[in-house]
Amino acid sequence: MKDGSDRAGHLEAWLYNHSEAARRSLWRRAHAPGQTLILVAVLGFILALPAYLWLLLDNARALSAGVDHEPRIALYLDLEGGETLADAVARIDALPGVAEVAAIEADDALAAYRESLPDPALLDWLEDNPLPAIIEVLPLERSPEALAAMEQQLATLLPEATVISDHEWVRQLEALHGAGLRVLLVVSALLALGITLILAVASAAELRERHEEIAISRITGATDRFLRRPSLYGGLLLGVGGGLFSLILLGIVVMMTRSPVEEAALVFGVPFAFAGPQARIGLMLLGAGLVLGWVGARLGSAAALRD
Amino acid sequence: MIRLHRVTKRFAGGTEALRNVSLRVDAGALAFLTGPSGAGKSTLLRLIARLERPTRGRIMVNGRDLGTLARHQEPQFRRDIGLVFQDHRLLFDRPVHANVALPLEILGYRRTEARKRVRAALDKVGLLQKENAQPQTLSAGEQQRVGIARAIVHRPALLLADEPTGNLDPELSREIIQLFLDFNRVGMTALIASHNLGLISTFARPVLHLENGSLEARHVTQPRSTA
Repeated sequence: MKDGSDRAGHLEAWLYNHSEAARRSLWRRAHAPGQTLILVAVLGFILALPAYLWLLLDNARALSAGVDHEPRIALYLDLEGGETLADAVARIDALPGVAEVAAIEADDALAAYRESLPDPALLDWLEDNPLPAIIEVLPLERSPEALAAMEQQLATLLPEATVISDHEWVRQLEALHGAGLRVLLVVSALLALGITLILAVASAAELRERHEEIAISRITGATDRFLRRPSLYGGLLLGVGGGLFSLILLGIVVMMTRSPVEEAALVFGVPFAFAGPQARIGLMLLGAGLVLGWVGARLGSAAALRD
Repeated sequence: MIRLHRVTKRFAGGTEALRNVSLRVDAGALAFLTGPSGAGKSTLLRLIARLERPTRGRIMVNGRDLGTLARHQEPQFRRDIGLVFQDHRLLFDRPVHANVALPLEILGYRRTEARKRVRAALDKVGLLQKENAQPQTLSAGEQQRVGIARAIVHRPALLLADEPTGNLDPELSREIIQLFLDFNRVGMTALIASHNLGLISTFARPVLHLENGSLEARHVTQPRSTA
């Protein structure tokens, strides 16, 4: 540095240099409003689409939790060997990993069934109660693996009982959710790649427009780092714009689809409130916009400065 | 300051712009480079500023062997050189002071220091009152002087000028050359290409004559007297 080597001076010069680059990129963006708006809009659409899909998946999961959030295992017992239902309940309760055990005597089950019939006398011709006693087990852990293990444990403990669990259903739901997330990830990656290339092309075109300034600066000893700095700021600027635009877009789309989704859930008998985007999604969209804007500008300027 | 040893430059297509040129310009010297257009004056200056590379031969500038200069070292190397073009190559999207400040911005000068130096440089070329003007509102001579201010604002060790008086009338041309003599007096080495023999012969300075890409081996030393 020719004008003194003090640290504060360095910092001031560095800050000045960066603020100049930022100011110039802002000026350039402001003087090409049409192009800027199109790029911001494209970035916004591309960010909003996966964010909305993610929101749907998230809500679907919440919805399924509302339908049945406690995967129970049911045991149907034919109590013949002298064991009482209370004995069986006590033995199950002693197992590790059991949160809750509920029992329904066979007679209670029949009584409840009789209640539900329009003509209870219909059951009078039965000699024996054909219904089994039922024990419902709620495991502590609810992962499909834990459910399967518990099911196995119960079958060993009470070999004469029929064990039926809804963990298959949970597993199917988990699989669907996982597949959805994977599809979302791949689609997002492809979209990100696409928008990065679009931003790179735009950034390269902008640098080529500055070719005279770049030629003169190069002759005066400018490094590539110096020359691409305004483009990088331009990329960040587009990123912020795109992130904000995508948030607005997401808000509008959620507003437009909220009531039909909630009504559909009601038809299935599930009261459900469609959750809108949280602050976390907002931050993620802004962050994604910034990263994509920067990477696009970096790729574009590298290509343009190599020419 | 500048040493060329048997330098040949052949462009793609086979045109030989320079043939076996050897030359030496000492630090603190000022020399004119003359010859008809197409003689290779611009090519010679571009080789010295490393805007071109020689086909053969060795070039040393400011103690550096350009043959061993890596691409990432070029920016640092060029910061010691000021270049003046015939078409001055100003940036029309910014005012005069921003044009002149460009090298300082690249060198990372502080704003206050940069402003001071820009004003000093503009003062030297007599354009201080035009610092906020847009370049396109200036006359050809004024534009050329802005280009010179930009070339010297960071006080480079070496000034290379390619036909700096090409478009100017005789009186303005004299003024411009006089400016270069002033810079040289404070220690700047200068090599000025011009085909205007009548003009440069009035200044008692060494003249290198380039013809058809050839130059006799010449050695330019410090001036004996200061003009």
